[in-house]
Amino acid sequence: MKNLLVIYFLFFSFLSFSQTSDQIIAQLITKINLVKDYSVKASIKADIPMIKILPVNATIYFKQKDKFKVVTKGIAILPKQGFTDVSNFLSKKGSYVCVDGGTKVLNGILTNMITVIPTVENSEIILAKLWIDTKRKLIIKTDLTTRGSGSVTIDYQYAAQVAYGLPDQIIFTVDVKKFKMPKSVSGNVNQSNAKTSQKKTGTITIKLSSYVINKGISDEFFKKKN
Amino acid sequence: MLVRNTYNEFIKIIAKPRSYIGLGVLTALIFVILFAMKADGSSFISFVTSSFEQTLTFNGNILNGNLIAFIILQMLIVHIPLLVALVTGDLISGEAAMGTIRMLATKPISRTNIVLSKFIAGAVYTLILTLWLAFLALVVVKWMFGTGDLIVLNSNGLIILQEQDIMWRYLCSFFVAYLALLTVSSLSICLSAFAENSIGPIVSTMGIIILFTIIGSMDVTVFDSIKKFLFTTHMASWRSFFEDPINLKDIWQSILILILHNILFVVIAVLKFNKKDITS
Repeated sequence: MKNLLVIYFLFFSFLSFSQTSDQIIAQLITKINLVKDYSVKASIKADIPMIKILPVNATIYFKQKDKFKVVTKGIAILPKQGFTDVSNFLSKKGSYVCVDGGTKVLNGILTNMITVIPTVENSEIILAKLWIDTKRKLIIKTDLTTRGSGSVTIDYQYAAQVAYGLPDQIIFTVDVKKFKMPKSVSGNVNQSNAKTSQKKTGTITIKLSSYVINKGISDEFFKKKN
Repeated sequence: MLVRNTYNEFIKIIAKPRSYIGLGVLTALIFVILFAMKADGSSFISFVTSSFEQTLTFNGNILNGNLIAFIILQMLIVHIPLLVALVTGDLISGEAAMGTIRMLATKPISRTNIVLSKFIAGAVYTLILTLWLAFLALVVVKWMFGTGDLIVLNSNGLIILQEQDIMWRYLCSFFVAYLALLTVSSLSICLSAFAENSIGPIVSTMGIIILFTIIGSMDVTVFDSIKKFLFTTHMASWRSFFEDPINLKDIWQSILILILHNILFVVIAVLKFNKKDITS
């Protein structure tokens, strides 16, 4: 009888936690869906092993659900995963399960850690850990494990567009341990041996300003080349 | 007298149909590269960025005139020596083969000045070839593909240079590339002083370049001590202008070694030509 009571208690506490994390995600999706489209000025600074690039200014355009375009005069480096993938992934209700991971204080903000596991086969995202500020319904940090691009950690900072859940700064930490540069590829046969990056992670910091939200961007714009 | 004779030598060069082969081949090669880039440039870019594409995306106009000019320079700097040697390898031995060398030696000009005028005429021809390459790569290509930041792949990784920071690098690299081609020109004229036919110096020049390039590219310690003295090692030093930071010490060393090679080849040619038996 005692054991049955313990099982009963554990089962219902799990259900209640599950509901809570689902509710948090649902509230988050509602906030994400407030933004139908936006354009924003971005200053992109990449610190990637074996890549030398100066900070670049660009304009980023986004339209629900997955239209994304970067317009820049120069060359801008962005992570392959993580910019719009989290919101896309979370928008597909029923294709994942949420597991509550408790609470944690990040940069002075109390967050709920929720682990999101896809239930569909061939999902590019294998696992997503989200640290969510439940008060303001904002993602503070994401840890993505992907099928093809390794793992990406994303830290968000919010200021002006907190009401729309749009960050002012995003820091991507990407897994770069496999970068190798043989001299046969570089074409510089006279230089000595090939180098491999020693550093295992690279960071891309994007400062975002001058958001233009929900003013409408045509689908054709995303098809056009820069 | 040296200037007049140099002018005459240059007239001889431009009067030969083979002198235009270099310019024609260079133009054809560049337009083949341009056609290939226009048709399937994206796969080439993918080749450059493939090491990073698992994790990162490259946004913006990557396939621009600056990148294609770099590709052209990288591809052709290996082949242009042949086009240079085709003309300069014939300057002394061609006279010997045709029998005009005796007439040339009867002119009121020293043998040393005859050789020097041939070197200067060869240098002018090489300069024209380099300038034509620069015009096609920097003017025509940019007109066709536009301009933008330049992605350079080297053994230290990827360097992305901003558009406003590129032109001076090209000008400096064309200067070093010219110096490298001038060394080829001097080598072929030097070999030409030893030969009685045109083919020998041209083939020998290419043979030496191929041999030295293979030695330079082999990662074998036994060659390490001689690699830095081979002129072929320094022929690619134009690439150093696309590093960040630029290793000026290495560039100056390359320039010095190329200049020393030029002086050496001129001295050998002068000594040989002064003792050359032109009576038979």
